[in-house]
Amino acid sequence: MPLSYDTSSAAALPAATSALRSGLPRSRIFISNEFGLILLIVIFALVFGTMTHGFTSHFNLFTLGRNTAVNIMIGLSMMTVIVTGGLNLAVGAIGVCAAMLCGYALQVLHLPWPIALLLALALGAALGAVNGFAVVRTGLHSFIITLATMSIFYGVMIFLTRAEAYRNIPFGFVHFGSMKVLGDVSPLLLLALAVALALAALYRGSVLGREMLATGARREAAELSGIRTGRIITLCHMLSGALATVAALMLVARNGAAIPSMAGQLGQDWLLPAFLAPVLGGAVLNGGKAPVFGTCLGAALVSMLTSGLLLMQLGAFWVQTFLGLLLLLAMFLDKARRSYLAYRNLA
Amino acid sequence: MSKQSLLRLAQADWFGPLVVTLAAIAIIRGFSPDFLSPYNIQTLLIALAINALIAFSQMIIIAIGQMNLSVGAIGGLAAIAFAGMMQVWHLPVALAAILSLLIGIFCGALNGALISATGISAFVITLATLAIYKGINLGITQAQPFYGIAASVKHFGNAALFGLIPMLAVPTAIIAVALWFLLTRLPIGRFILAVGGNEHAASLSGISVRSVVILAHAISGFLAACAGMLLVARLQLGQPSIGDDWLILSFAAPVIGGAVLSGGHVSVVTTLLGVAMVALITQALVVFSIDPFLVQVVLGLLILAAVGINRLRETHLIARRA
Amino acid sequence: MLRRSMPRVMRALLVAGAFGCAAIGPVYAASDTMVALVPPGPHPYFATWKQGGADAAKAFGLKAADFKVPQQWQLSEQNELLESLLAQGYNGFVIFPGDPVGSVSTVSEMVSNGAPVVTAGGCLKDPSDAAFCLATDTGNSAYLGTKQLIRAMGPGKKRILHLTGFLADPNTQLRIDAVEKAATESGDQVVQVIADIDAPEPAAEKVNAYLAAHANDVDGIISTAWVPSVVAANALRKIGDKRIHMVAIDTDQVVLQAIKDGYVDGTMIQNPYGQAYIGAYAVDKLRSGCQVKADAPFKSNALTKKFIDSGTAFVDAHDVDSYVQTMQDKTKQLLSTFATTYLTCK
Repeated sequence: MPLSYDTSSAAALPAATSALRSGLPRSRIFISNEFGLILLIVIFALVFGTMTHGFTSHFNLFTLGRNTAVNIMIGLSMMTVIVTGGLNLAVGAIGVCAAMLCGYALQVLHLPWPIALLLALALGAALGAVNGFAVVRTGLHSFIITLATMSIFYGVMIFLTRAEAYRNIPFGFVHFGSMKVLGDVSPLLLLALAVALALAALYRGSVLGREMLATGARREAAELSGIRTGRIITLCHMLSGALATVAALMLVARNGAAIPSMAGQLGQDWLLPAFLAPVLGGAVLNGGKAPVFGTCLGAALVSMLTSGLLLMQLGAFWVQTFLGLLLLLAMFLDKARRSYLAYRNLA
Repeated sequence: MSKQSLLRLAQADWFGPLVVTLAAIAIIRGFSPDFLSPYNIQTLLIALAINALIAFSQMIIIAIGQMNLSVGAIGGLAAIAFAGMMQVWHLPVALAAILSLLIGIFCGALNGALISATGISAFVITLATLAIYKGINLGITQAQPFYGIAASVKHFGNAALFGLIPMLAVPTAIIAVALWFLLTRLPIGRFILAVGGNEHAASLSGISVRSVVILAHAISGFLAACAGMLLVARLQLGQPSIGDDWLILSFAAPVIGGAVLSGGHVSVVTTLLGVAMVALITQALVVFSIDPFLVQVVLGLLILAAVGINRLRETHLIARRA
Repeated sequence: MLRRSMPRVMRALLVAGAFGCAAIGPVYAASDTMVALVPPGPHPYFATWKQGGADAAKAFGLKAADFKVPQQWQLSEQNELLESLLAQGYNGFVIFPGDPVGSVSTVSEMVSNGAPVVTAGGCLKDPSDAAFCLATDTGNSAYLGTKQLIRAMGPGKKRILHLTGFLADPNTQLRIDAVEKAATESGDQVVQVIADIDAPEPAAEKVNAYLAAHANDVDGIISTAWVPSVVAANALRKIGDKRIHMVAIDTDQVVLQAIKDGYVDGTMIQNPYGQAYIGAYAVDKLRSGCQVKADAPFKSNALTKKFIDSGTAFVDAHDVDSYVQTMQDKTKQLLSTFATTYLTCK
């Protein structure tokens, strides 16, 4: 496939070990993706904090946290598939479908909300499984499969719901969206971080997670070493669907309604944040890397920039340009970092 | 016709899509006699003219084995530049058109240059430039349309040759022929397909991969800009949202027509047929008063069916060769 | 390890940055009122909101009444913009809600932060914290427009094509029902409703495709959204057919020209200018201690019981040039009695 992101992660490893050996563990941290992101976040927080009016107001911090939570979930949803070297263009469509099912279960079937949530998660995972199954079975790249399924999922959802929103969401659930805990923190942000921790544990500490990474890094090799890669890829897509559902449910809680247009036409509006966060976070489109923490930082950076740029009153219309430029900049920095690593490794 | 030549015909890549297209026309005509009325043919041809350029713009990138997510953003930027230059600067139409095309070419070439200079995947680069180009569009227009379209452009958008063929289809026809000629008869076309087929081999055989990539992206930008400008003529206004919904169509048409996403194998004719199929389905759904909500589902299923059939054909061909 | 340090770093920074920023406090003086007028997305309908806000700021001595547009017609973008505006110190809002229910929680957050909200152009579904809704009585406007169309088509049973906007817009269903009602009353028939075409590309595609196949099955077109009005006016001009009558909505240049040239019979104008002007005025009043009267003579519509009609009128070739005056008169009239009718002030 055409997705030939230059992969020098292989070079990164020896570089890191050599740095360790030569007693310079610090340099590894300083040129890590995460450190770069934290630095950017710090710099931009200072810039926005001093230059804009209201960036550090309680209300802004609260909403920033809430928006970050959703972006983290969207980013992680994409990351779980990028791990396998694939893409999931249907994140938005899956999220909206699941959210609408949740709304239906609450408003029409009058189910208690925890059950509705479980139903939604099950649907999200199931739609993800459809993607994964189609990818594995046809051997086609997930780009084209999910391009088609995003159309199908979204179209069926619109057809069934007649584009009507479900609005009778119980207060207990909606309250999560406007609640504040520990000062100005949205519980949604805590939930997102908890999910991120669980994912990190999955990739670092479990056999399944390591199999996912191995499948993404070198599918043939993984197959040879006895991993059932088809099943693993399907699982990754299911995970992605479930995470997309969590993001969508957060939005339901936040808006107090399940709205078909909440991720835009076909769910396309999620694509930019979905790719921004993992790519900024250091994911490699060829697969094999799962920068959970980097993705969270990437999402935080994107949310902060959106908020800050709006506050700077540059005009809402220029925000997108700046986000695009930032994405380019981040990629160039990443590229430079890799070259530097490669150079040090040689030196 | 001998059985042999029929067989060869059936193996041609454009044969399947052509049969499907003709069958679709016949079926729709059977149910709705108005379907082949002159006015409806015009409507169809206009949709075809614009969508074909959008599909070509993606096709040329698929040919080199990459993808261009910023097709719509480039088209939209060129469209509002075209309309804006007429309204705000009162430039003559020809000058505005040339400048807008240059903008399209520049945006495309910039994509190509960034991709080949950094070696970063086209997917990510064009995702970033998509945001940049779209953002510039919104920044300039503040999301409000330009209305000051020159009368000649408006007239061009409404006029038809012999009362049947819309003027909008003329540029597309010329471009389609030129593109076909370029891809099949000129060395540069061979280079493009060679790079798509096997980049490494192409570079070993002395092709400058970098310039081919930049050139292909420049052509893509040019085609997207053309589509955007034709839409301005058709809608009679410079709408900032032009291009927002091109992405799926731009992939669907070449893929339905049989393009292979890994590069090296595209065809102007089958892409055109792919566009025709999409246009026919959209039309059919309206003509039969079928639920518009189902359009997306049908489009998605069509893509899946098309790639599935292509996949079968590929394995079939491989099996035969073996 | 890095994960744990991140919130700490953030918090430290935010505290460090806090010195530059004033908290939003309730300061009740008219000159302090900063109103933000926020539509759900870019749309030509709101072009006069900007002017309405600016004029209100000047006339009533507000600190600001700024028009702020989300970059896309999308609820989450509007929410983010509203949150940001509140953080920037805007303390009163005139909002066309992106979703009649989905925006309720956001509006509640604004109000609980001390910023009164008036919805304008479109309403929130009750119960909500919005003070009231100042909008076109869309159902009535569509009903009157359809009546005008039926009159223009002349006697006999006629077939009507109805073009309307986003299904997500709360007004759309009201319009569909009203057109249906007007047609049924006079024994005419709505043969087709084409909805969700408030963007030019799909509108052009669907309207042209429909007219291509069914032009002979239609005697009149009623359009109840901006973009379809433009597209249909262009299509009728292109066909060159003056047999099909049409009544449009709003005041796009294309529509106005088509009325002058006789392709369109007339258009239902709304009063977006007045919505912005009076909305900003009312928000300022609410901030300076006024309250909405408990027994105010609100109308009600499908969404809310606190509805105020901002005015609507039919203009045809005779008075198409003076429509601005018509609407400004309506605005003045509404304003002259607004405070005494709807508010109690200390």
